[in-house]
Amino acid sequence: MPIIVARDLTKTYYVGDVAVHALRGITLTIEAGEFVSVVGPSGSGKSTLMHILGCLDSPTSGHYLLNGRDVSHLSDDELSAIRNKEIGFVFQGFNLLVRTSALDNVELPLLYANRGRVPASERRRRALDALNAVGLADRATHHPNQLSGGQQQRVAIARALLNHPSILLADEPTGNLDSQTSIEVMDIFQRLKEERGITIVLITHEQQVAEYASRIIRFRDGRVVADQVDGARALAVGET
Amino acid sequence: MTRTSLFVAWRALGRNKLQTLLTMLGMTMGVAAVMTMIALGSGAQTAIEDQVRAAGMNLIVVKAGNYKVKTEDDFGGVVDHQADARLKPRAPLVSYDGARGFSRAYAVWNPDRPARVRLVVHPEDDPMEKHDHPTASQRLGDTEAGLGAAATLTSADAAAIRRIPGVQYVAEGIHENAHVAAGAKRWFTRLHGGDVQLPEIRRAWSFPRGRFFSEREQRSASQMMVLGSIVARKLFGDGDPIGRDVKLWNQTFRVVGVVTSTNVLTAPAVGDDQFDAVYVPFTTVHRLLNLTKLNDITITAASTGEVTRIAKQVADQLRARHRIAESAPDDFTVVTQARQALAKGGMRPEVARAVVGNVEGLEKVTLEQLAKTLERASRTMTALLASIAAVALLVGGIGIMNIMLLSVTERTREIGVRRAVGARAHDVLVQFLVEAMLLSLVGGIAGVALGFVAAGSMSQLLRWSTSISAAGVALSFGSAAAVGLFFGWYPARQAARLHPIDSLRYE
Repeated sequence: MPIIVARDLTKTYYVGDVAVHALRGITLTIEAGEFVSVVGPSGSGKSTLMHILGCLDSPTSGHYLLNGRDVSHLSDDELSAIRNKEIGFVFQGFNLLVRTSALDNVELPLLYANRGRVPASERRRRALDALNAVGLADRATHHPNQLSGGQQQRVAIARALLNHPSILLADEPTGNLDSQTSIEVMDIFQRLKEERGITIVLITHEQQVAEYASRIIRFRDGRVVADQVDGARALAVGET
Repeated sequence: MTRTSLFVAWRALGRNKLQTLLTMLGMTMGVAAVMTMIALGSGAQTAIEDQVRAAGMNLIVVKAGNYKVKTEDDFGGVVDHQADARLKPRAPLVSYDGARGFSRAYAVWNPDRPARVRLVVHPEDDPMEKHDHPTASQRLGDTEAGLGAAATLTSADAAAIRRIPGVQYVAEGIHENAHVAAGAKRWFTRLHGGDVQLPEIRRAWSFPRGRFFSEREQRSASQMMVLGSIVARKLFGDGDPIGRDVKLWNQTFRVVGVVTSTNVLTAPAVGDDQFDAVYVPFTTVHRLLNLTKLNDITITAASTGEVTRIAKQVADQLRARHRIAESAPDDFTVVTQARQALAKGGMRPEVARAVVGNVEGLEKVTLEQLAKTLERASRTMTALLASIAAVALLVGGIGIMNIMLLSVTERTREIGVRRAVGARAHDVLVQFLVEAMLLSLVGGIAGVALGFVAAGSMSQLLRWSTSISAAGVALSFGSAAAVGLFFGWYPARQAARLHPIDSLRYE
């Protein structure tokens, strides 16, 4: 069953009077449980695609069906609810709240889940579980500045997974990490795909990183130029 | 939603404690200023009201007999040479009658002339001479109802006065000097045959021990006695006099209470008419001395503004009851104490001066006008203080707005992250609004506390009267909340309007 169906998505920005066509008609389908890399040079529109897939933005035209539901023109509040329930984000810059413990950072999505009625004890328990899943239970009280880059990204992944989203969207998750730590993060992604069947869309411009995915979509000038399913993909675990 | 937003906001504020603290401090100062100003303003108002009330502005005393003591009456207890000078030209020492030529006006009794004028021109009286006792000229009604005939008031008169609308309390009084004795100790003091309503009239009375006598004890003319605090000390030292016996006129009275003044500034002293005194029911005095007369009737008006009207009505009523002919003078004296009290020091001199200075012809001033003048003065002061406080509050509010705007900019990324994990624009708005409210309310609570301290120390150290009411606290706190809401709204809306993507990309 396809979890993401994009039909002829376009997105046009206006920078002053100049129209920027970030997406020029994207059509793609991603099945549940797929691990997809989106690669392309900067400015190719891959980030814009991620924003639309992540319901942070709406397409200028076209349709986006998430889990069979057309979400391309929902209201801001409705999109917020979908982001909360269905989507987990992992960013290049981690985007953890400063001066806030790892545990508090992880439980953030639960503050907005179920109309904010998740009791504090449950928030705590689930956040700890999520931290445990990324191997950071012993760092729960540490603030971001007390954690290494890899650890911070793992906290961010724990946060993204907290509400059991169906899609994990990662925007250059290894951009700020060294190669060794990048491999660790990729390992986590692969495990998530294998063990939980989470659909992962990974945006990167590094070919090496992209190859951890089972499918690579290439972008150029707002269009898909290649879409290859790679059976012989790299295995993060095997390489360490 | 509310609890979570509170939680989120609290944690966000906790992240930058110094900044939070300083912003709150601004609010604290503003609210403390409001509190203090309100306390000062209402303190001044209460002080004026208290003084007016304590001065007996609504008090009317009817005394038996008609003798005026100039030094205590015409100009409120102050010996006022100027007042005499003002009066003299109006006093017809000599009047001209066309038909009969000049005649000496003072030699004839003319009831149509105002008594005050005659007072000055009585042949016995040298206008420049001051007497501390009633002179013949002052005892106007001597020929008809002078000192000797001062048994003109009765309980029936008091009952009639009680029926006049607007009258609040009526206390019948009879006064003697007497020796009281407890064991070997004796004391010469004032004896007041009092009325059960007396404590209601004497607002500055308190009963450190025991009570005043009851209605029933008064009706049965029982031999109960309330001691003034001076007498209690003279007879019993520091011991408890309640239940002890006191001898008066060879009769035994049981002490049921001790009365003293609530006003520490005018602590009772020997010779004090109210507290170097003993009180027994006037009915008891009547029974023991076989009397029916009253020396005076003390009346309070329910409304201060009605004193003049009631005094007039009391006089009319008594004249009718005593069947006093049109041209005959009263056989009683009605004294309203407002004017007396003004100059007597019941009011602070500066207030009294202000009143006298602001109002032309004080003697014509009705109580309504007087009250209005005082009220206007204190309202002006309150308005002034309130505007200062409002400025302080405004500054605190701008501080909050400033810090919130800064915070929105500083935390743009945080806003983006929150939006990405599912916070609605509304959630962001509420978060920042709650933060602003928390700043102002916590600052406000501290401000209320500080206001208590400030007002307290002002009245302690500067002797300014302050009064903190629940309404004042509520107002201070409410204004803090309003400021938080008002100045927090704009930054919060700015935060909520940020586009998630833009805020995520913000560097």
